[in-house]
Amino acid sequence: MSPLNLDDAATLLMQLEATDTADLAVLRDALTDLAFENRVPLRAQPHVARAARVLGSVVNGTAADVSAAFAEVGQAIEAAMKASEGQVVEVGADPVAHAMSETVGGATAIAVASGATPSLTLALVDEVPPTPVVVATAAVATPALETSAVVPPVAAAPAVARNRQEDRLPDDADRDLLPDFLTESNECITNSEAALLQLEANPSDEEAVNTVFRAFHTVKGTSAFLGLTRIAEFAHEAESLLSRVRDKEIAYTRGCADLSLRSADMLKALLMVVEKALNGDGRMPIPEGFFELLDALAGYDPARDADGVQLAVSSGSDDIFPTLTDGADDAGALSGPVSGIAVARKPEAPVAQSANNASTGNSGSNADATIRVRTDRLDRLIDMVGELVIAQSMIAGDDTFGSGTQHELLRKVTHAGKIVRELQDLSMSMRMVPLRPTFQKLARVVRDTATKAGKTVQFVTDGDEVEIDRTMVDRLGDPLVHMVRNAVDHGVEPPAERTANGKPGLGVVRLHAYHASGNVVVELVDDGRGLHRDKIVKKAIEKGLIETDKGMTDSEVFNLIFAPGFSTAEKITDISGRGVGMDVVRRNLEAIRGRIDITSAPGKGTTFSIRLPLTLAVTDGMLVRVGDERFIIPLTHIHMSFRPEPSMLSTVVGKGEMVHLRGELMPILRLHRLFDVANAVQNPLDGLLMIVGDGAKRTALLVDELLGQQQVVAKTLGDGLGKVAGVSGGAILGDGRVGLILDVNETVALAQSTDCSAPRHEREAA
Amino acid sequence: MSTQSLQVMNSDTSSLATLAPTRAGKYLTFYLAGEEYGLEILKVSEIIGLQPITRVPRMPEFVRGVINLRGKVIPITDLRMKFGMGAEDSEDSCIIVVQMRGIQTGIVVDRVSEVVAIAEADIEDAPSFGSGIRTEFLLGIGKAGGRVKLLLDIDKVLATAEIAALQDAQAHAD
Repeated sequence: MSPLNLDDAATLLMQLEATDTADLAVLRDALTDLAFENRVPLRAQPHVARAARVLGSVVNGTAADVSAAFAEVGQAIEAAMKASEGQVVEVGADPVAHAMSETVGGATAIAVASGATPSLTLALVDEVPPTPVVVATAAVATPALETSAVVPPVAAAPAVARNRQEDRLPDDADRDLLPDFLTESNECITNSEAALLQLEANPSDEEAVNTVFRAFHTVKGTSAFLGLTRIAEFAHEAESLLSRVRDKEIAYTRGCADLSLRSADMLKALLMVVEKALNGDGRMPIPEGFFELLDALAGYDPARDADGVQLAVSSGSDDIFPTLTDGADDAGALSGPVSGIAVARKPEAPVAQSANNASTGNSGSNADATIRVRTDRLDRLIDMVGELVIAQSMIAGDDTFGSGTQHELLRKVTHAGKIVRELQDLSMSMRMVPLRPTFQKLARVVRDTATKAGKTVQFVTDGDEVEIDRTMVDRLGDPLVHMVRNAVDHGVEPPAERTANGKPGLGVVRLHAYHASGNVVVELVDDGRGLHRDKIVKKAIEKGLIETDKGMTDSEVFNLIFAPGFSTAEKITDISGRGVGMDVVRRNLEAIRGRIDITSAPGKGTTFSIRLPLTLAVTDGMLVRVGDERFIIPLTHIHMSFRPEPSMLSTVVGKGEMVHLRGELMPILRLHRLFDVANAVQNPLDGLLMIVGDGAKRTALLVDELLGQQQVVAKTLGDGLGKVAGVSGGAILGDGRVGLILDVNETVALAQSTDCSAPRHEREAA
Repeated sequence: MSTQSLQVMNSDTSSLATLAPTRAGKYLTFYLAGEEYGLEILKVSEIIGLQPITRVPRMPEFVRGVINLRGKVIPITDLRMKFGMGAEDSEDSCIIVVQMRGIQTGIVVDRVSEVVAIAEADIEDAPSFGSGIRTEFLLGIGKAGGRVKLLLDIDKVLATAEIAALQDAQAHAD
């Protein structure tokens, strides 16, 4: 395809009518290419992209006024041509290098506009395209190599005159395309982050550089196309830095790595802003630290920063959750006078790396072709397969086969059953995704936390190919980040302390996932200080959580750090620190039905092991019958069930019925009264008592009989009903009917707040 | 509570909006206690036979419970109970699955009759009294084939069901 330039586009546009849809589409595609491929200067790109976008609306027939749209396209192309005029168009072999040189030109204009040389202002400002955003685009690109002659870096650094106003979502933004853009871009950035870490471990990994470069490039292209100029301009700067690395112009040093990772963060922040704007009022505030980072990117000088940019070593900060403001501060320090920057980091570069990633390299990036599917369609498919399984078992259970004369038919039905079961497995596996991306994100967390805390930590992962349910990945992420951060921040000792204790200076934090008896186990192991039993006990007694630790196992004691009182208290770094927000960790994990256990030895390290179900969609439940109805009680809530003896039952005045079991007195909850079920067992001696609930507040549920344990797929009870007290959802049982899944905690709370001493109809009759 | 009432308000305005231009169209008619009712055909997604319904505790009486509709759990409202006619299932009783604002829900009726097209000219506003049911559920009264059909505004019927269920649940919680 012979590349079309702007002049061609303008000529072509004049020859075309609004009805030449096919030709207009070709022109639009050509313009899109122009905007994406760096064949026009950066400052012209937004105009070209706008032209393509408006033209697109003509092609799709969505333009309100075709002639006005045509005029707008014409203007946009004209503006683009103006923007690219007066530039030194020495189209090199490398389009990126070309774009770089254009950026430099833009920088000149900016520096002038900021008042450095007032006499030139008028002459040059005219050349800057009218869109203020574009002014910011060209903001202060001062790579010393190319532009020192034009603009001295120091003068350029504190540039003020740029568009600092917050943006708005463009009025003509395509709201249908934006969500896809956000998903895709976020994915790109996540990939690039992993590649950046890989690159840091192995700076000569060209494929990694290319991955990052491509990711930034894609974000830049699509965001420019969608009119999100600020993102495009930022991605361009980030891309430029990487292109210099790719072209071996600069080495990928520590400083460069810091900047690139920060750029990835900033892009994420920018995307989040767009997402908020899309769901909200369209305002797009500029993330903090944006301009500082932009300056740092543009003004990156390898000679100056080779040993590492002074970043993120704000020791003494008790904030273990760095936010964007950190970036602002640190990058702000960067953009200051040059003299303040040359402080090098500690020489022993702590490398936070995933051994797994480093060894497998990047082979995994494009290995599997994937397709994005809407989750509701997937859920529907799984529903249908579930129905198919029920229908199949109904056929297989048909009386026809009982007579033993239908061998041929039975054989066919059995064969169909096999296929159905395989289909069921397959459909369940479609929701499963590997833990790899989650683990990769944590590599970044380890790196940042270690740098911040002055630790040297090696991060090792294995088992990242283990798959868990898609919905659980999201919920697992936060607790893991928290725990990994804690492990690095509090668990692993500083290098000096480690060597003093005869340990290697390099701490190890290991994340390990594997399957165990139908569960997925994620273990976080560190070889740090370990937990101090005595100190935890002391603290817990102080807090009134326990009275004495007599008879408590180590594991029970360590589990105390999950108690809410432990974390909301003042800082507890004096007992090796675990516990900041650990109650939140446990709550999040419980929400996905995970269990967490701690083992620890003082001086040796700590292991957190998280046990998770394979999928959230399936609940292990006990099917019970109460009168005419059946309920499913989640197994995790059941301690035991037994048939009571008369001697165990007693009535406490005003407290209802109680059952006495091994020294523990528990209230009896009659489900049939609470839920008004007919034909249920009245006398506890005729039924079964099921002990549910946790800790000191255990309750005995009276049920008629246990029908058996089964795995059920939990579903909501239909949106029309809203929240039903005491019921967490429904499940399709083997006979195709719906069974209700009991929310045990809620049911118990409900029983305590309701007078259910007699069934409702009896009360009404009385 | 606030979100719920907000939804109800939205449904009110949206049904007003649909009501304003025209009420003419095709209606699925069915019987309830000998009276013939009509339901906009566009709201109906399917008709299924009566099947075992799982009762949901602590719901108002007209909420019969939930059923499994091909893997999806949907709530079932009994219109007879809703309109205070007393529950009575017959051989012909069936469930009409309606789609309102993306939510599938079922209603139990005595017998499904036919689909009729009713012109705007044949639809009169509901009289303010005398039809035996509360008139705010009615889009109007249609005449077709020499018979009178009470045209239901199903969104309103079910929206009030939601409110009632909510109030009931809250009364219990208090």
